Amino acid sequence: MKCLLLANESAEVLFYWTDTEFEQRVQEQYGVSQEEGERLPAFEDSINTLFAPIIISCSTMVDRLGDNYTSFSTENNHIYVLHQFEECLYIAVNGDGDETEEDLKRKIFVMKKLTEIMFGMVTFSGALLRKELRPQDTEQRNRLWKKLRSLLETYSRLRENDQSFLVEAVERLIHPTLCEQCIEFLERRLVQQINSNMDRMGEEVLHAFILVHTKLLAFYSSRNASNLYSSDLLALIILVQDLYPSKINLDETSEELESSSVPEVFYTPEPSPPERESVRQRGDSPPVFQFVDPDVQMAEDSLQTLEAPTPDPSAPSRVFLESKECPMPHSMYCLPLWPGITLVLLTKIPNSHVATSVCYFLEAFVKLEKRLCEGHEGAAAMRGQPSVQEQRSRLEKLIKTWAGMDIQTSQLQNAWTDFKNKAFSRSGSGFTRDLLPSCRNMKTQLCGVYRQFFAAECMGSSQRLAPHLQERALSMVQEKLMDWKDFLLVKSKRNITMVWSLVATAQRYLQKGYATVTLRDGDYFYCYFLWFENETGYKLEVIDIPSSPDDGAPVGMLTCDYYRKLLRYYSKKHQNEVVKCYELFTVHLGVIPNEYILQHCSQLARKLWEPTRIPLL
Amino acid sequence: MENTSVSVSSILIVILEGKRFGLTANCTSYVFHHISKSSFFFLYDSSKVQEEVDLTRDGIYYFSPEDTPIDQQELLCGQLAGVCRCVSELSSSPVRLLHLRKSKYAVRMKDKFLWALSCVVDIPDVSVCDLLDQLIALFCFYNGPVRQSYQLYSKQELALRWARYLCHLQGGSTELHHIFSCLRTIDSTHIDPLLLLKAALILQACQRCPLVLAGCILYRGRVVSTQMPPALTVKVMVYETQTYSQDFQVTANGLSSLVGSPFSSTATTQVFLMPTELHMLRCPPVDRACRYKSRSFLSKKSSFVRSRLLSRTLSDTPTTDTDSSSLDPTHCPPPSYKTVPSSPRSSLSDELCFSPSPSRVNTPIHSNLMNQSEYFTPDSHVHSTSNGTNLCAVEEHLAGLNIKQDIDANSGSETKSNGLNSDQDIQSEEIKAPANGYEQSNCLDNHSDLDSQIKSEENKLDANNHVTNKNGNGETEEEAKTKSKQINRKLKEKNEPTNTPSPHETLEDTSLVPLVLYQHRVKGLVLALLVEPEFITDHSAREEVHHSSLASLNGLEAHLRNTSPGTPGPPGPYTFAHYDCIQNTLTTNVCGRSVGPQDQAFVKATKLVHSHFSRLDTLQEAIVRNASSAVYGTRTTAQETYFLQQGTPVRNSGSPDPQDSAFSLPRKARLRLLKHGVNLL
Repeated sequence: MKCLLLANESAEVLFYWTDTEFEQRVQEQYGVSQEEGERLPAFEDSINTLFAPIIISCSTMVDRLGDNYTSFSTENNHIYVLHQFEECLYIAVNGDGDETEEDLKRKIFVMKKLTEIMFGMVTFSGALLRKELRPQDTEQRNRLWKKLRSLLETYSRLRENDQSFLVEAVERLIHPTLCEQCIEFLERRLVQQINSNMDRMGEEVLHAFILVHTKLLAFYSSRNASNLYSSDLLALIILVQDLYPSKINLDETSEELESSSVPEVFYTPEPSPPERESVRQRGDSPPVFQFVDPDVQMAEDSLQTLEAPTPDPSAPSRVFLESKECPMPHSMYCLPLWPGITLVLLTKIPNSHVATSVCYFLEAFVKLEKRLCEGHEGAAAMRGQPSVQEQRSRLEKLIKTWAGMDIQTSQLQNAWTDFKNKAFSRSGSGFTRDLLPSCRNMKTQLCGVYRQFFAAECMGSSQRLAPHLQERALSMVQEKLMDWKDFLLVKSKRNITMVWSLVATAQRYLQKGYATVTLRDGDYFYCYFLWFENETGYKLEVIDIPSSPDDGAPVGMLTCDYYRKLLRYYSKKHQNEVVKCYELFTVHLGVIPNEYILQHCSQLARKLWEPTRIPLL
Repeated sequence: MENTSVSVSSILIVILEGKRFGLTANCTSYVFHHISKSSFFFLYDSSKVQEEVDLTRDGIYYFSPEDTPIDQQELLCGQLAGVCRCVSELSSSPVRLLHLRKSKYAVRMKDKFLWALSCVVDIPDVSVCDLLDQLIALFCFYNGPVRQSYQLYSKQELALRWARYLCHLQGGSTELHHIFSCLRTIDSTHIDPLLLLKAALILQACQRCPLVLAGCILYRGRVVSTQMPPALTVKVMVYETQTYSQDFQVTANGLSSLVGSPFSSTATTQVFLMPTELHMLRCPPVDRACRYKSRSFLSKKSSFVRSRLLSRTLSDTPTTDTDSSSLDPTHCPPPSYKTVPSSPRSSLSDELCFSPSPSRVNTPIHSNLMNQSEYFTPDSHVHSTSNGTNLCAVEEHLAGLNIKQDIDANSGSETKSNGLNSDQDIQSEEIKAPANGYEQSNCLDNHSDLDSQIKSEENKLDANNHVTNKNGNGETEEEAKTKSKQINRKLKEKNEPTNTPSPHETLEDTSLVPLVLYQHRVKGLVLALLVEPEFITDHSAREEVHHSSLASLNGLEAHLRNTSPGTPGPPGPYTFAHYDCIQNTLTTNVCGRSVGPQDQAFVKATKLVHSHFSRLDTLQEAIVRNASSAVYGTRTTAQETYFLQQGTPVRNSGSPDPQDSAFSLPRKARLRLLKHGVNLL
């Protein structure tokens, strides 16, 4: 009995996922309370009604006590976990004993991560996220929710069956020669060729990698690409697995032939001619803007739904990846080489630099809002930021530029005029609390601009690498790996271990600052070690790891990049060194004397260092 | 053989403890020492807040700390009750735990009541839940079913009691005591073991009187020896501390019966036991069923029967065959006991047919009972017989009231029993109605359907009706009828939400069985005995128990008083805590409140590992280490032990290293703890 839902502060459900058991239970409850002959309410309404008191109570607690619920458990061991991200409340429920409180918390954080990957900075604005997650058009909403549900289920499946999602680490297929060859191939042949082709529609391949199931065979990043964080890579693997699920124990050969030739079969022509090499295709495609009259939008939507949307395999997915400045929009192309083996290209899309500037000002307004809320006024409210006049003129210029770029900026302009009138004119309030609404409005409008530029549906559907380029890339890599294919598929299936409860346990202790844990549980002896090394493999001295609060992000990569933070924390003491962090989990039979177990662990720790010498990410 | 084993277990319960504390003398301050300064406890009755117009404050029966602004009380109670109801409806099960970012609440939901007790987040879930259960259990032990208590007494008066119990459970001792919610025992390291043996013998001697079920001996708020299960000992101790602090105040007050000089006095009060507790006292480990057999006539024939067993010890074997059903607590009690109406054994219900009329309470036994127990003094005018409320506040409160302590036993009982009835009339119409209904259906064999509510109401009446008619034995026909009726009713009510079984009996108000707690104090030493209600009227039994134990108690007290408290030895190079899950006792060298960084690290790790042990039954041992400390925890079904070696320089990388000192902890613990009587081999 499982459920996950997102709601906003007005107790509106933005998204929900339930398993059939939960659904049945809810319907039974409503069946009982319903008068005879009365029709059952729509499931969504039931969910809404059932959870509304909890959601409302949450906001009351926050408002009046500055505290909030994080979990409930009942006598029959149902668990409810709650987490508030900005204006969005996540609730995860389990009533079948399959998941622990930590599991549910992790699920919530993963869901959050997935929305960030899909919607980027739009998640910063509650109002916009609501529109994004809960489109008014039912068809559209169903499509989106179906997608999100399927992602969540894919994640849960991976978490249960795949060790790399158990420990949240990218697992590599270790074959040094092949790995090196592939990287070279990706760099010299593939990426170079695409990036020098005229049909790339202004996109530029930044990262290219090959996945065998969930394992990474080769990864190449172009020189001007920013770092791809492991948390993002893991999330991308979920997206890929969702598109092309690894079917375990299925007869692969028959399907394989079909799907290797699919792209042409399923390819549907562009709605607009793709030959125009232009950065801006938006004008040609039906504009689906944020601030369109809902009725018009509905009409358009219903028109669109008449023609059944066929899956368009050459269309990229929009993903927003972490960078130092802000979530940067990218296009992701998943090209299935064979079932289980996928080539993934991440491209920089036109205008992505706009994201940086939007983000810059968004941050400025967030800071301002914070200072104003804290009661600072006048110059004090702007402390820590570059001069007001300078910022003001920069933003003016940007807005003008954006206005010339075929996107709707009238609302932004209105908001900006309003802000200026209040902040800078004599008649206005100046930098006082009264400025807060205008400040918030500016935030929303900036997010809106960001959305218009980058949200997948707002991008012209023709914005993509030309299909023939994609096909070319596919066949090149297929050719390259043809002889290795079977080997890789077999190899990727090896070294699959059982799921260990140890991992969750160790993470819980790690969260409380314990880096070494040994447990005798039933017939087994479990060990967990975490330590730091420098680049040469010298083991660095242990430090006290800060213990994080219970309501913080769970330890992991995918959820909040705990290890990156840990490394940053450790590096403060070792500023001149590259610090690496290692973990070792072992399970031994309990009958083995402890000293042998520990000796074995220590040998393993020494040996495991060796294969990591292969070229890394 | 059995005798020896029992003595040994009595001795074992006395374990050492590194630090002693004075008694918490007067518990009027409700500061939660280790739980948190901002810790809340409240009892909320949502049945009082049903309509929009109803005020949340009407549902708040008790809120601690009491000086919390009413709007904050309302906010917390309203929100938590609302959210708990919503969740319990969604899951069809009561909420047990509720976490917030800054605190956590253990929750109990029963009928329309909701109890919530908060603490800081790093206290293990299992600990705070235990604490709440103990608190509710304490209340029920002294006051009987909650709903009924609130029908009989004012919120203000019961508030003082909640405060007292809360204070008792949370006051004093170390944080570790709270984590394990264990008994406070005397420091046996400086005590001659013979004294402990003596204490055990005193208890055994008292049991020669068949009316005595079990006892314990306490010295200055700490257990010296006990024959009761830990959960009961805890409850009994509350009364002890309360009378202790009261010792030198003006006693009287009609408070139960407090007889004697300030330095040696006896007192009795009515208490309520859960059937399982009673079962443990009456049945195992020694089958004393013979006593029950005899008691049915004993109550009439009085004391001479008792003399038959003058040299009785715990090892006495039953002289008569016992009914196999006597293993069930509800089967055990003598027929003179009124138990749950829904008891499958209908022989008990036969009394019900005759009992509910107020005129029945006219035997000396009953009148005395009435005298003893405030519980049956229904209206606020007679609650002056409050069972030992020592709080000044209560006394002041009571001072202005009409105290009827000078009424002679018989006439007093008459007055009060009438009062009981009229009180019912006034306070709750619905109580009276079902009671009559029940009477009818049983006695007149009226098969008309009972209202589903009747059952629950009559259950609540349980305690009220407990004064039973002794003439009702052997009405087999009635038995059969009642039985079949009960079965029918059970079937009918199977789906009633009020009938959903709760894992904790405390909340099963319906099944509480009244007994009497007798207490004999000699200065700081207290002999507390759980006795059958007849004990109170049985003067010769009282005399005998009193006189047989007086000399020994005086002697024991003198010895204990003269035993030097013993300066706590220099802190060892290690910290440990040994928790005995069976006896519910803790041995530790962690000192009170002056907790050093090593001790803090130890307590922190202990909390985590204890929490882990409580979640995972198969877990046997754990070593957890961070840069500055390593703690070893190990457990069996009977104990949990935690050990930290102090001052070990921990300078390594944290990578697997067989030389790591953390891994030698199990060996060191085994060696070091032997001298504390902890055997980890």
